[in-house]
Amino acid sequence: MNETRTILIVDDEVQIRRLLEISLSTYGYNTVFATDGKEGLVAAATHSPALIILDLGLPDIDGMKLLQKLREWYTKPVIVLSVRSSEEDIINALDSGANDYLTKPFRSGELVARIRAAIRLSEEKKDTPLMEFGSLTIDMLNHVVRKNGEIIKLTSTEYSLLTLLARNCGRVLTHQFILKEIWGYGYLEQTQYLRVFVAQLRKKIEDDPASPVLLITESGIGYRFGN
Amino acid sequence: MTGKETQLPKGIVRHIYPYLLVILIIGLTTLACIPLSNPQSYHIVSFILLFVVAILAVFLGIGPVLLASTMSAVAWNYFFIPPFHTFHIANTEDRLMFISFFIIALLNGILTNRIRRQERLVRSREDETNALFQLTGELSKTRGIDGVIKVAGDDFRKRFGAETWFIIQDGNNILLPPAADEENSGADQPDPEISGWVFSNRKKAGRYTGTMNDSILTYYPLTGARISPGVVAFKIDEQRFKNKDIFWDTYCTHIANALEREFLGEMAIKARILDESDRFYGTLFNLISHEFRIPIAAIMGASDTLMLAETSERNREELYGEIFKASARLNHLTENLLNMSRIESGRISLRLDWHDVNDLFHRAARSLKQELEPFRLVIAVPDDMPLVRIDFALMEHVLINLLLNSTQHSLPGTTLNLEASYRRNNLIINISDNGPGFPPEALPRLFDKFYRVEGSPAGGLGLGLSIVKGLVDVHKGTVAAGNNESGGARFTITIPSRLPEMNQLNLTE
Repeated sequence: MNETRTILIVDDEVQIRRLLEISLSTYGYNTVFATDGKEGLVAAATHSPALIILDLGLPDIDGMKLLQKLREWYTKPVIVLSVRSSEEDIINALDSGANDYLTKPFRSGELVARIRAAIRLSEEKKDTPLMEFGSLTIDMLNHVVRKNGEIIKLTSTEYSLLTLLARNCGRVLTHQFILKEIWGYGYLEQTQYLRVFVAQLRKKIEDDPASPVLLITESGIGYRFGN
Repeated sequence: MTGKETQLPKGIVRHIYPYLLVILIIGLTTLACIPLSNPQSYHIVSFILLFVVAILAVFLGIGPVLLASTMSAVAWNYFFIPPFHTFHIANTEDRLMFISFFIIALLNGILTNRIRRQERLVRSREDETNALFQLTGELSKTRGIDGVIKVAGDDFRKRFGAETWFIIQDGNNILLPPAADEENSGADQPDPEISGWVFSNRKKAGRYTGTMNDSILTYYPLTGARISPGVVAFKIDEQRFKNKDIFWDTYCTHIANALEREFLGEMAIKARILDESDRFYGTLFNLISHEFRIPIAAIMGASDTLMLAETSERNREELYGEIFKASARLNHLTENLLNMSRIESGRISLRLDWHDVNDLFHRAARSLKQELEPFRLVIAVPDDMPLVRIDFALMEHVLINLLLNSTQHSLPGTTLNLEASYRRNNLIINISDNGPGFPPEALPRLFDKFYRVEGSPAGGLGLGLSIVKGLVDVHKGTVAAGNNESGGARFTITIPSRLPEMNQLNLTE
């Protein structure tokens, strides 16, 4: 874990590039830069970065297009960093393969936290059936969930929802994605079911369901699981 | 080309047809009168023939009537005036008789024809007057430029079977592309050059007008008393158009007047909006110059000092903090301005979905973690609170603005309350604090743009509450402000939200 990781930053604003270079190097990351989409594609291929930070407003091509092109072969995390803050844009970016998003202006501390989470998630060995989140453990082999060591009873839908979120820990899952995965294509509009199950699940897994720390709401976009 | 070839003989037939009819009828009458062909009764035959000519004159044009008069005179002479079967007339009396017969037949035909034409003219004038009356009536009932165009286009089609194109100007005397009447084929689009000429010269042109006669459409300027709304182009049959200059001038003027009325109305609205936005931007720039400069000054000053070597470590810490605070303030200002302009321009699209109020409250409180630190925030949501249909991000913004407002007007350590309830298909949110409350005179103006209660702490554009109102409005809800019994401020938001459909929900699955 101690080797220096390279992060590619695709952004045409020189001030943002400078800022990212300084703050990321403070946290021990190596940075390479691209100022437009074409350079971005080349740099992604030549440097094989551990993570890409992508601005959506690029001078030559639309960032969303670049993201789709990258996703044809690049499997490591991409974090979108953009001034576009509408939920449609964010959902679009997530659905096009972004692992996370932050809107400008952002706090560097927040960005670094997201970078760490994304890299950890992508490098984690996924073959362990046991996941731990604070006082919560999920044993996927035996389908058992424990809170403070005590087994909690979950319905099968609650269990699927929890494991879907937990497997994608740190990543924002859009409502549509969750509905499709758990209930299927016929239920893409039935957000109310998702809300009810999330509220139920929170009562069982959170210490204080009114201020959740594991199952976090992303306003108008979806949910993120984390600890 | 083929169309023209088949049309030409048809026209000729239409013209020849009355003459053939005249020959046939005069011939038949002559034949029928042959038994009277004797020296005693040939005068009677002249009356019969005069009668037939008069009848024909009622129905036929001047040419066929002339032919009828001549033919009947010749036939009378040839078959009935002795000596029979010659054009020779034996005695002087008969010769006089023949001449007067010819003259009477001619006059008879011409006069009857003239009366008929007069009568037809009167009838067509009456039709024209009716047409104008009906058009004016219909036009006065419609509103909006599009409405007028629809009515006028329909009238053109119904009354004259004509296709129309309205080429309307944009308000700066530049013609926009034609607003085609929905049902026309679109094959013969109006020529922009001709419509431009008609518009700038305020003269008709195109087919049947003598100017640019070879075009397919006829163009009339639509000229009102003060402005020229545009041009109308139409494709019409010649008969329905020719020799009715005064009618067409009047007809188009009626349409032009109706369009002008709508045009002036719309221009007045635009002028008012411009005036309002002028005032809006005036106030805005004053505020921006003040509100933006202070945090910018803080950032510049602080970073400048940080660059000095002799600044102490403790001061450095403080200056970093100042820069962060100032940039957060700038960010908040920008957010508010952007939201205000989105609300003002109606560009907010509501993304309604089912949401948990607990979630909403928690998110809003988390966003304001730092600002809420010195206070005690008490959140109350009933256990049986149903899901509500709202735009989560917009409502989060509403709560953030209201909570922020409370923190700015309350003393640290006091309690802020955030409560939800559901009554009669409405989500009700109450936010109250224990600050000084509102002075009564401030209440009616609280949600106005740029309004700031006198004596409130410095900072802010006075946009927060008007944004709250704008965002609640797009939810078709209401927001009210008042004071608590204890004296603090209290906001009540009511948003209509039916109960969610939960038919297929099985919680035990």
